[in-house]
Amino acid sequence: MPSQYDAVVIGGGHNGLISAAYLARAGRRVLVLERRERVGGAAVTEEVFPGFKFSVFSYVVSLLRPEIIRDLALPQHGLHILPLESTLTPLPNGDYLAGWADPDQARQELYRHSPRDAEAYDEFGRVLHHMAFAVKPILSMVPPDPTSLTPNELRGLLRLGRHFSDLGEERFYGLYKLMTMSSADYLDEWFECEPLKATKSASGIIGTFLGPRSPGTAYVLLHHYMGEIDGAFRAWGFAKGGTGAVSEAIANAARSFGAEIRTSATVTDVLVRQRRTSGVVLQDGEEVGAKTVVSSLDPRRTFLQLVDPDLLPEDLVSAVRRFRFRGSSGKVNLALSELPSFTCLPGMGPHLRGAISVSPSIDYLERAYDEAKYGAFSTRPYLDVVIPSMIDPDMAPPGKHVMSIFVQYAPYDLTGGWTDERKEAFGDTVIDTLSEFAPNLKRSILHRQVITPVDIEEITGLTEGNIFQGELGLHQLFFLRPAPGWAQYRTPIKGLYQCGSGTHPGGGIMGASGRLAAQTILKDASR
Amino acid sequence: MTQKSYDAIVLGGDANGLVAAGYLARAGLRVRLLEAREEPGAELSQTEVVPGFRCDTAVHDVGWIPPAILRDFGLASRGLTPLAPDPSVVAPQRDAPPLVLWREPAHTQEALRSHSSRDAERWPRFTALAHRLAGFLRRLYENSPPQPVFRGATEGVSLLPLAWHLRRLGPQDMMELLRVFPMSVAEWLDEWFENDLLKGTIGAGGITAIRQGPRSGGTAFVFLHHLVGADVGVLRPRGLIRGGAARFATAVAEAAEAMGATISYGEPVLQIITRDGQAQGVVLSDGEEIRGRCIVSSLDPHRTFIELVPGDQLDPHFARAVSNIKFRGSVGRVNLALERMPRFHGIDGDPSQLGGVISISPSLDYLERAYDRVKHGQHTHRPYLECVFPSLNDESLAPPGKHVMSITVQYVPLQSNATAWTGADSEALEQTVLETLSEYAPNLPDIIAGSEVLAPNDLATRFGMREGHLYRGELTLDQILFMRPLPGWSRYRTPIEGLFLCGPGCHPGGGIAGGAGLLAVREILRSLKKS
Repeated sequence: MPSQYDAVVIGGGHNGLISAAYLARAGRRVLVLERRERVGGAAVTEEVFPGFKFSVFSYVVSLLRPEIIRDLALPQHGLHILPLESTLTPLPNGDYLAGWADPDQARQELYRHSPRDAEAYDEFGRVLHHMAFAVKPILSMVPPDPTSLTPNELRGLLRLGRHFSDLGEERFYGLYKLMTMSSADYLDEWFECEPLKATKSASGIIGTFLGPRSPGTAYVLLHHYMGEIDGAFRAWGFAKGGTGAVSEAIANAARSFGAEIRTSATVTDVLVRQRRTSGVVLQDGEEVGAKTVVSSLDPRRTFLQLVDPDLLPEDLVSAVRRFRFRGSSGKVNLALSELPSFTCLPGMGPHLRGAISVSPSIDYLERAYDEAKYGAFSTRPYLDVVIPSMIDPDMAPPGKHVMSIFVQYAPYDLTGGWTDERKEAFGDTVIDTLSEFAPNLKRSILHRQVITPVDIEEITGLTEGNIFQGELGLHQLFFLRPAPGWAQYRTPIKGLYQCGSGTHPGGGIMGASGRLAAQTILKDASR
Repeated sequence: MTQKSYDAIVLGGDANGLVAAGYLARAGLRVRLLEAREEPGAELSQTEVVPGFRCDTAVHDVGWIPPAILRDFGLASRGLTPLAPDPSVVAPQRDAPPLVLWREPAHTQEALRSHSSRDAERWPRFTALAHRLAGFLRRLYENSPPQPVFRGATEGVSLLPLAWHLRRLGPQDMMELLRVFPMSVAEWLDEWFENDLLKGTIGAGGITAIRQGPRSGGTAFVFLHHLVGADVGVLRPRGLIRGGAARFATAVAEAAEAMGATISYGEPVLQIITRDGQAQGVVLSDGEEIRGRCIVSSLDPHRTFIELVPGDQLDPHFARAVSNIKFRGSVGRVNLALERMPRFHGIDGDPSQLGGVISISPSLDYLERAYDRVKHGQHTHRPYLECVFPSLNDESLAPPGKHVMSITVQYVPLQSNATAWTGADSEALEQTVLETLSEYAPNLPDIIAGSEVLAPNDLATRFGMREGHLYRGELTLDQILFMRPLPGWSRYRTPIEGLFLCGPGCHPGGGIAGGAGLLAVREILRSLKKS
C-alpha cells in the first residue's frame, strides 16, 4: 500500500519549500521530495573545501517577498539577513567608483566623477522606486488570461487595467519605457558616467543572454531593483550561513507546519490516470500517492520529462519546447589565504564588505556579450564579486576567506562544448580579469571551484543552467510564463500544478511563484 | 505692409507634409507649404549618378501607400504605377543558386524545397500568420494611436475598437501577437525555420532602417511593421514605383496643388514664431514673416522643437524628452551606373528574375555581426545590402542597354571610429559594398560607369533629417504608437498651441507613405473646429 499525501511537492528549492509551507500551514498533509541530499536547489550552502563554506550558486538575497518572510515567520526559523553595504567598481585607470550605503558619502563619490550625475541620482532613485511600487502588486497577482471571456478573468483584466490607469500618465509611460528599452538607453537618459551606467546596467543582464544594449534589459534592471529588505528597496543582503540558510529557514518553517521533507528522493514520473494525477513515482520504483502534485521544476522538466507529453495539448508542448533558457552565467568560488587588495583602494576597508563589480563601461559589457553571442565565453567578462567571510566569519577558517564570483557571459552552448580544459580556461579568464584590479589574488588562492551552466544544470537540474528557470524576456513574462494559457500555475493534468520560477513572476530568490501556486491550489480545493 | 497670412503653414514637403497640405486645402483651408529644397519629396528624390543615369537617391521603396491616399490624391490618374515584381526577393549565394521568393506562397514553397524541405512546408503557415499579425498593425495604423492612460470615459471608449480587433484575432493569434511583438526577429525565425539563408533574408526585414541587430528585442515588430499592406507571402518591397520613388512625391505634390495648396520650394524656415505658448507664424531665411492660424511640421521633432521653436518657449522637461528621442541613422546608400547587368551566380543577368529586391543577407549571424561593428562605431566589413535595379522597370532611367543599381547599405556609422565622417570613409564604404557584391556577382567591378555614395551624415545634410534617420526617429518599441514621438503627445498636438506635427516621427512612423500626414490632418481639423 503506497503512502498517501494530500500534496506532494517535487523539488526542494525555495519555491517548492514555500509552496509546501503554505499548503501545510493550511492543514494539508504535504511531502517534499528532493533529488539531492540537501534542500535548497540553487540556494544552497556547501562546504566545498574543508573549512570553507560557499553559497555555491545563488549568493545574494533581496527579492524574497516580505509577505512570505512574515507569513512563514522565517526569522524565527533562522533567517538572518546581513546587509551588503556598498558596491565598488574598480576601473582600468586605477581609479574606482564606489556606491556607499551612506547617501551623503555616495553623492560625494559620484560628484567626483560627474556633478551632473550626482544631481540626477536622487531623482533617478525616486523614479525607480515609484516604478518598483507600480510593479509590486503585479508580482503578487495571478496573471489574468487576456484571451478569456469568463467573468473572473475579465475582472482580473479590468483590475489590471485600472491599476495601470491609476498609475497616471507619467508613471505609466515610465513603466512602459522600462519594459521596452535597453538598460543602456534607459540609463543614458539619466547619466553620463560610464562606470555608473555600466554597474547599474549590469543588473539588467544578470541571468539573461542579452547585452546591455538589447531592448528588454531595462526591465531586468527593475526586477533586480525590486529587492527589499525590511522595506528598503534595492538593498541586497547576504544570509548568515550563506544562501542555503534561507532554504533551511523555509524548510524549518514548512516542517513546523507539519510538512515532511525527504531528500535523496528523485521523482521520475508524475502518475496520471484519466487526465488526473494520482501521485508520483520515485527512481527506485516507489510510488507516492497524492491528490495534488506540485512541480517546482522548470517547465521543460515538468511538461516534457515528468509527464508524458502525449497527454498534453500540442500547443502547450510546442510552447514549452520553444521556451528560452539559454543559461549564460557561471560562477567561480575561491578559498583564499588572504583578502584581495585592490590597486584602487589597497588593503582592508569597508568596500570588501560589499559587492565588487567588474563593469567599467557599457561597451565592456556589450563586448563581453558580443563574444558569447557566437558561442565563446567572454574573454573579459562581467564579474560580480562578494566576500561572504567578511560579513559572516563562520564561512571560512579564522584569517582565511571565501570569495564568490558571479560571471557573465558563459554560454551553455559553448562552441565545441564545455570540456574540462575549457572549464579551467574559463576559470583562468575570470581570475586573470579580477587580478588586473587585485594583483595579490592569484597567490592567495588555496582552492577554486569553477561552475559552468552545464554544471548548474547537472547539479541543480535547472535546464541549460538558466538561473531563472527561463529567461526573463518580455515574451516570457506574466501571462506568457511559461506558456500562453498555462500561466496560472495549473496544468492540463488535474491535480498537477507548477510552482517554480518558470512561472510568473520568475526568478531570483523571490518565492512569489511558490506562494501564488499554493494559493491557487487552496482556492481550487475550496471550490 | 500687408503680412501674408494662412490658415495653415506646412513645414517640409516630404510625402507627409504634402499629404497634410493636400488634405487641409481640400477641407477649405488656405494652406502654404514651405520646403527648403528645390523639389518635393525630401528623401523620395532622384539624382543623376552620371550623365544619362538617374537613380533613387535615398530610398527606392516608398513603403505602404494607404489606399485613402491613392484614392484621394488620384495618384493612378497622375501616372503613378506601383510595381508588383515577381519574384519579389532574390537572395544570391556565393557559390550556389539563389533563394527566390515569389509572390505566391505556393510558388515560393516549391522554390524553397531545394534549400530545406522542412522550411518549405512551414512557409505558407508562417506567411499567413505574419500577414494576420501585420493586419492587426494595419488597423492600428489607420487611426491615431490608442491612449492607454485615459483622462476620461470618452478616451477609455477609444480603446474599445482596439480591444475588439485584438480579440477578433482569436485567442491563439492574440497571444502570439503579444508574445512576438517584443521578441527579436532572430528568435522568432529560429522557432520556425532552419535554413540560414532563408532566415537571414526574412530577418533583414526586421532591421530595416533601425540600428539594432536581428537578435535585439523589438525587431520582430519592425519586421511586421514592414509587412503592413503587403500581400500574403510578400516580404518586400511594398512600394516600388515605376520610374523611382520620387515619382510618388511629384504626383502627390501635383495633386496637393490641385487640391488648393500653395507650395513654395527653396524656402527654408528659420524659426517658428511663438507667443504665450501659441504658434503664430514662421520666419523665412530672408527675414520675411508669414502668419498662420496653425503650423504643421513634417520635420523631425528635434528639428521642430529644438531648432525652430525659441528655447524659452519650451518646458525644459519637454525639451529634455525631445533630446532623448533616439534617431541613430545607420543606413547608407551606394548608387551605381552600370554598363550592363551584373551576373549573379545562378541567375546570370536574367532581368526577369531581378525586377524586385536583391538581398545580400546570407544568415542572421551575418546581419548580427554587421550590427556588432556599427554598435561600436566602426565600419562594417560585410554589410547587409538591399539592391534594386530601377532601370529594369523604366528604361528611361539609363541609356539603352545600360542600368542603374540602387543599393541600401546597413549598417553605416554616423561617425567613423569616434571621429567625423570624411570623404575617405565614403570611399571605404563604396569599396566595401563593391567587394561584398562582387562575391555574388563577380563581373560587377568591371561594369561600373559611375557611382554616388551617401553616408547617414550626407543624408542628414542633404535632406535635413536628424542623424540621417530616414524615419525621423527609430522604430523601437519605446518609440512607437502612443510613445511616438513622445508619450502624452502622440496625437500630433504639441505643448505649443497651434503647432502640430505630421511627419514620420509621429505614429505610424516611416515606411508608410503619407500615413502620419493623413492621421495628423484629422486631429488638426478637429482641433481647429474646437477653437
